[in-house]
Amino acid sequence: MISGNAALTGSYDLPQVALSVLIAISASYAALDLAGRVTATRGRAQLTWLIGGSAAMGIGIWAMHYIGMLAFRLPVPVEYDWPTALLSLLVGILCSAFALVVVSRRRMGLTYALIGSAMMGCGIAALHYIAMAAMRLPAECRFDFRLVALSVVLAVVFSFASLWLAFYFRDEPQNSAWRKLGSALVMGVATSAMHYTGMAAATFIPAAPALDQSHAVSISSLGTLGIAAATLQVLGLAVLSSLVDRRFDAQGLELALTETRLELAHVARIATMGELTASIAHEINQPLTAVVNNGNFALRQVASGAPNLEELREAIAEIVNDGTRASAVISRIRALLQKGAPDRVELDINEVIQEVTILVRHEATLSGVSVRLDLAADLPRVLGDRVQLQQVLINLVINGIEAMRTLTDRPRELLVKSAKNADAVLIQVQDSGKGLDPEQVGRIFEPFFTTKPQGIGMGLSISRSIIESHGGRLWTVPGSSGALFQFTLPTDGNSVS
Amino acid sequence: MNERAPIVFVVDDDPSVRRSIKRLIGSVGLQVELFGSAQEFLLSKRPDAPSCLVLDIRLPGISGLDFQHKLAEANIHIPIIFITAHGDIPMTVRAMKAGAVEFLTKPFREQDLLDAIQLALERDRARRQGDAEIAVLRERFESLTPREREVLPWVVSGLLSKQIADAIGTSEASVKVHRSQLMRKMAADSVADLVRMAEKMGIPIPKKP
Repeated sequence: MISGNAALTGSYDLPQVALSVLIAISASYAALDLAGRVTATRGRAQLTWLIGGSAAMGIGIWAMHYIGMLAFRLPVPVEYDWPTALLSLLVGILCSAFALVVVSRRRMGLTYALIGSAMMGCGIAALHYIAMAAMRLPAECRFDFRLVALSVVLAVVFSFASLWLAFYFRDEPQNSAWRKLGSALVMGVATSAMHYTGMAAATFIPAAPALDQSHAVSISSLGTLGIAAATLQVLGLAVLSSLVDRRFDAQGLELALTETRLELAHVARIATMGELTASIAHEINQPLTAVVNNGNFALRQVASGAPNLEELREAIAEIVNDGTRASAVISRIRALLQKGAPDRVELDINEVIQEVTILVRHEATLSGVSVRLDLAADLPRVLGDRVQLQQVLINLVINGIEAMRTLTDRPRELLVKSAKNADAVLIQVQDSGKGLDPEQVGRIFEPFFTTKPQGIGMGLSISRSIIESHGGRLWTVPGSSGALFQFTLPTDGNSVS
Repeated sequence: MNERAPIVFVVDDDPSVRRSIKRLIGSVGLQVELFGSAQEFLLSKRPDAPSCLVLDIRLPGISGLDFQHKLAEANIHIPIIFITAHGDIPMTVRAMKAGAVEFLTKPFREQDLLDAIQLALERDRARRQGDAEIAVLRERFESLTPREREVLPWVVSGLLSKQIADAIGTSEASVKVHRSQLMRKMAADSVADLVRMAEKMGIPIPKKP
């Protein structure tokens, strides 16, 4: 038996101290990582992340404290009361859950952070002192209350810092792994500082065991290693699953974005088609007129009893031609109105320009605009989606036509030009209007920016995203007479995304 | 009057529509001439015969409606039948107000077009006849002496020879000579006939003093 009132001298097992710090750092990293998942997910997934995350973090914090305590060697056998130990684990998990809820809130004000960190700090301090209360040893534990107070303050301060850091990382900024690791390092060391301050606050005076020993268990060094290994595994799993989940999320987001973009482009196309109804009616009614006329002519010939077979043959041949022509117009419009994944094919951009010119011809004539084409011969083919490229051209051409409606002092002319440009083709659409307002030039490609009374301001922004998805560029050229829009399309199939 | 074979002019920028109209109109025995633009039509040498114009609203360079206006300004009074693949009410109203014979939406019923063409040719015939009559009258009027031309309006206004003599300061006898001369030269059977001719030629009639 050790004599009377002299305090027991303890010593630290340094490798175990190091292990405890490592676990503290790992738990911190997991906390920062999991905060992001809890914030990014909703509903059941969020609840799962919250429960799983707080369990992992709680185990981490708890293990850190126990390993830190086990690293403290006293000259008497120390056992632990396992129900108390379990209680401290529960406190650790609740504390972690609380922290995750705090950082996943939409906003975090200073007051909120202060209250949160005060509660969290007290929770961690509680975990620590409950853990110490689980110690069963033939000694009496006395506390230096100044050091206890300091350890609680440290716990609160550390919680505050952790909450802010977690709040920062929860939005999962890109390439943040190193900064996250640095923050985890700081947090882990701070947690350890709190723990060892708390340990230092205790002095053990030899005495007969006063507490209930019935549930006490002793933990060997092997046991310590076991706890550490299990804890690190849990934390590692938490971080890994968070990583995997984030990947899937990012992919889903990308997919959703592409889908939205396609949807938007489709809606814009329908809107444009709405503006073009007159043109479309015209393009279909023209061949139909010829069909009806030729049909009537043929009927008359037959009714006459002595039809001129050569004339009859010509009329019927024209009926066939015009029927085909009308159906081609309809399938072109159908393609424009259809929803569908972009379909990249090799195409002749001049052909696309000519098809668009047919669709907008009527619109141009109504506005007194003459459309001139200056198409380079022998252009290399480009890889692209016919419908999307038609959409871009229709947009630019209609914009040009509308810009010239009020023009009275010079001819209203729209020039569509194609040319070869290094390893790309360059398409220009130029009107003879008053040009772009220099103050607006910077904004015209922004979504919802429009200069038209009835415009929704999506045309140019969608056009630009379409051209960019083809690996090209769409921009305006300042200083030209009238507005000049041009875009490139790469001719090298490999550079098309 | 030596009536020439009527002719239908068609201006439409769509060649296949153009050809089909030609076939259809040709099948009822009318002569047809096709043009791809208003400009082509203006530059063509049009025969002196009753005619009408089948005009597409949408034309390259100038709209059919503007072209109608331009023709009127140039004093070319050819009856116009508008055809359009996409017409609206304001367009129709404008065309009809400006004197169009008919406004047909493509694809039109053949009978509608043929009826409109008949009506348009009727109108042109009547107009040409009127024009021809006036031309004859003008010719006769030109053959009058200055004094006879001076007397004519007074005769038309219904004055007696004596009153005319007073009005222009000459003798009743010489007025009577002028009067019978101008009635003969104008080939007027009666004063009423002369009044009708003066109206056609647009000669102002003085008020009785």
